Amino acid sequence: MTRILSNRMNILYLMIAAFLAVLPFVYDSRSLLILLSQVFIFAVLAMSYDILLGYTGIVSFGHAMFFGIGAYTVGVFMKRFEPETSYFLLAVVVTIVLTAVVSYIVGLLTLRLKSHFYAMLTLAFAGLFLVLAEKWRTVTYGNDGFTFRVPEFLRDRTDFYLICLASMVVVFILLKRFTNSPLGKVLQAIRENEQRTESLGYSVLQYKIIASVVSGVLAGIAGILYAVSLRFVNTSVFTMDITLDALLMTIIGGVGTLVGAIIGAGIIEFSHHWLTELAKVHWIFERWIIFFGIIYILVVMFFPMGIVGSLKKLKFSRKKKDSVPVKSETVSQGD
Amino acid sequence: MDVLINLSLNGLATGMLIFLLAAGLTLIFGLMDVLNFAHGGLFAWGAYSGIWIYTATGSFLVGIIGAILTGMLLGILTERWIIKPVYGNHVQQILITLGLMLVLSEMLKVVWGPNQISASTPSYLSGSWEVGGVIIIKYRVFIIAVGLAVFLAVQYVLKKTKIGLVVRAGVMNKEMVQSLGINIQKVFMLVFMIGAGMAALGGMLLGPYSGVIHADMGMEFAILAFIVVVIGGMGSFSGSVMAAILVGLSGSFMAYYVPDLALAANMLLMAVVLIFRPQGLFGAKG
Amino acid sequence: MSTLLKLDHVETFIGQYHILQGVTFEVPKGEVTVLLGRNGAGKTTTLRTIMGLNHASKGSVSFKGEEIKDLPTYTIANKGIGYVPEDQGIFAGLTVEENIKVAIKKENEETHERLDWILNLFPDLKKFWKKPGGLLSGGQKQMLSIARAYVNENELLLIDEPSKGLAPIIVEKVMESIQQMKDKTTIILVEQNFMMASTIGDSFYIIDDGRTVSNGSMNVLREDEEMRRKYLGIA
Repeated sequence: MTRILSNRMNILYLMIAAFLAVLPFVYDSRSLLILLSQVFIFAVLAMSYDILLGYTGIVSFGHAMFFGIGAYTVGVFMKRFEPETSYFLLAVVVTIVLTAVVSYIVGLLTLRLKSHFYAMLTLAFAGLFLVLAEKWRTVTYGNDGFTFRVPEFLRDRTDFYLICLASMVVVFILLKRFTNSPLGKVLQAIRENEQRTESLGYSVLQYKIIASVVSGVLAGIAGILYAVSLRFVNTSVFTMDITLDALLMTIIGGVGTLVGAIIGAGIIEFSHHWLTELAKVHWIFERWIIFFGIIYILVVMFFPMGIVGSLKKLKFSRKKKDSVPVKSETVSQGD
Repeated sequence: MDVLINLSLNGLATGMLIFLLAAGLTLIFGLMDVLNFAHGGLFAWGAYSGIWIYTATGSFLVGIIGAILTGMLLGILTERWIIKPVYGNHVQQILITLGLMLVLSEMLKVVWGPNQISASTPSYLSGSWEVGGVIIIKYRVFIIAVGLAVFLAVQYVLKKTKIGLVVRAGVMNKEMVQSLGINIQKVFMLVFMIGAGMAALGGMLLGPYSGVIHADMGMEFAILAFIVVVIGGMGSFSGSVMAAILVGLSGSFMAYYVPDLALAANMLLMAVVLIFRPQGLFGAKG
Repeated sequence: MSTLLKLDHVETFIGQYHILQGVTFEVPKGEVTVLLGRNGAGKTTTLRTIMGLNHASKGSVSFKGEEIKDLPTYTIANKGIGYVPEDQGIFAGLTVEENIKVAIKKENEETHERLDWILNLFPDLKKFWKKPGGLLSGGQKQMLSIARAYVNENELLLIDEPSKGLAPIIVEKVMESIQQMKDKTTIILVEQNFMMASTIGDSFYIIDDGRTVSNGSMNVLREDEEMRRKYLGIA
């Protein structure tokens, strides 16, 4: 039953991907292409965040650090060396290595801690990277940042659009497989009940570190694409705003679903675009983030599963109307 | 000598402002197990509302009172509407208080505009004294005095009154406190309200100190306050004052001698403490 | 004799675990009712359910004829139920004095009398009056916890395994004190130590797998070796 259902969903995903792939050839709008490219890039970032928040139940406030590492690595390589494919690929490899090493070390140091501490510590680590980017002026040019040229194959907007789309699709498929693998199941078990997973003999810390490395590397990839799309990088890639974007997208779209992260990225990026346009009509729209802040709070409070999760649940409960709803009760016990 | 004294006073004053923010955070955490990521928002709201009232009425004192009341009101609403519905779920708490932080900061820009606002020192607190050839700025001394007074008052309440006893007992064992017939929800609300009031007072005092206030000051100071809460030991009130002074002083001296490393040094200190001594440098509670 | 507390088919979940699956018993006023059963049978959860620390999803808990199942813990406590938890629940950082002070609802003649009485029973507490509760020995913590529950005019005391982890000589001391309190208040005692249970108890209920399976007068159980072996694993 679920197999047929998931097959049907796969066909739907495939159709949407195909539609998006032919879109630039039938509907030529430069601004739409740019906007959609942003959506794909942030979808990768949001999916990487979902691995932590949705699948492992870890709240990180430092996701921007991996995004920023990717953005700066590609920027520095393109600026310092030649904007050629070989150097670009080298930048990708360096990003992967750097984000993997950083996420491993940060994870090793922090994932033993309880959730609040972890959130705070990641906030601090991201802050350190921000300070580093501001102060290491010889490389980063500080707050002002720098522009750079990109290799030939990334220059055409349509090509870049397709690369972003492909990246998103590949990351989606990889993460789907990852979360459905035995390893992914252990992560979800950790989210549900950490102590029980530990007592079943799994080393929770190791699994959490794996999740953090996978998530960190993918966020780095998103950072590369982001910097290439702007052909410019400055310290904003390390700010809390990037982490907040990932959070809003994942939460509003729906945690623990991957598709939710993509939908969330679409909603946030499109609304950002439109509401900024509307700011010409009324200044209140300049503060568009406030709407999302409020929606975000309401979602966390009333629909902790987000859009996708809530739809799934609705479908589920319609099908199993007469079954007894399982009420999960939080047990508060003093530790 | 001149420099040393001024750096120390500067550090102490900053430390006291961080303390006002961190004290509420640490008490709320100790009692309710809630790390309020929106606490910096209350700090910024205290600054804006207080300076606004001060400018409108011309009385600095009225401004301070207004800031504290605004903070307390926002504190009650936050506890009721934001924290209580997700009580007991850590992940939801972290997420929701961060969302509130976002909304509070943006709301400031909606109400008072996105630009920074200048704040002046009242005439009776501006200027300086000269003591033995050293110039001492009055307002800094004022901040230190207010911070100390708040510390002593809260310390007195915690040590000498029944409600303080209940709060201390609640930090140690919430279930038992309830089993003794005490409505811990009411205590939560009271502590949250007072913590929010202290944060708002800190924000208000910062205004004339730095000369301008802006909507992002909440997050900047909140990060320092988090560092203090960690170093002082989560839930330890007296630890928070020591750590705040430490962070204030180190910030002040570092900013003078090695400005590039000031913030980084504090963050590194927090990271090291969290990793090697998660109960804090001064805290007894694990 | 009137019934002070009555549990009727109480069921309690902790998370997804169905811990209590039907606990029914009555506590007559002025008596000591002992809850017996193996480890993990649900005795502690029964006490916690009475206190409202775990919520009963089904059944009824009535105290002096009033349903208290859905009330918050502090209200239940204020109706006159004192609780001595298994881990004693001592506030480690507070002194002995403060531990007792935090429990006192209204300071008056009555509480002073009760306090004096219980401190005479446990002179150790007087000796360590200004010491932090965390520094007390296991037996002294038990005494402090009992004193704290007793100091208010509670009509019912729930005492969870007071003998656990204590040296035999201390167990005797604690037992003696509970016996002395018997005249003044009603007690539900969870106890594994059968010697203690049978000395103090008036009647017993056996809980097994979250259900009350047997009950009667303590005298009956003293004679019935078969039942003791079956449910308690002792002869």
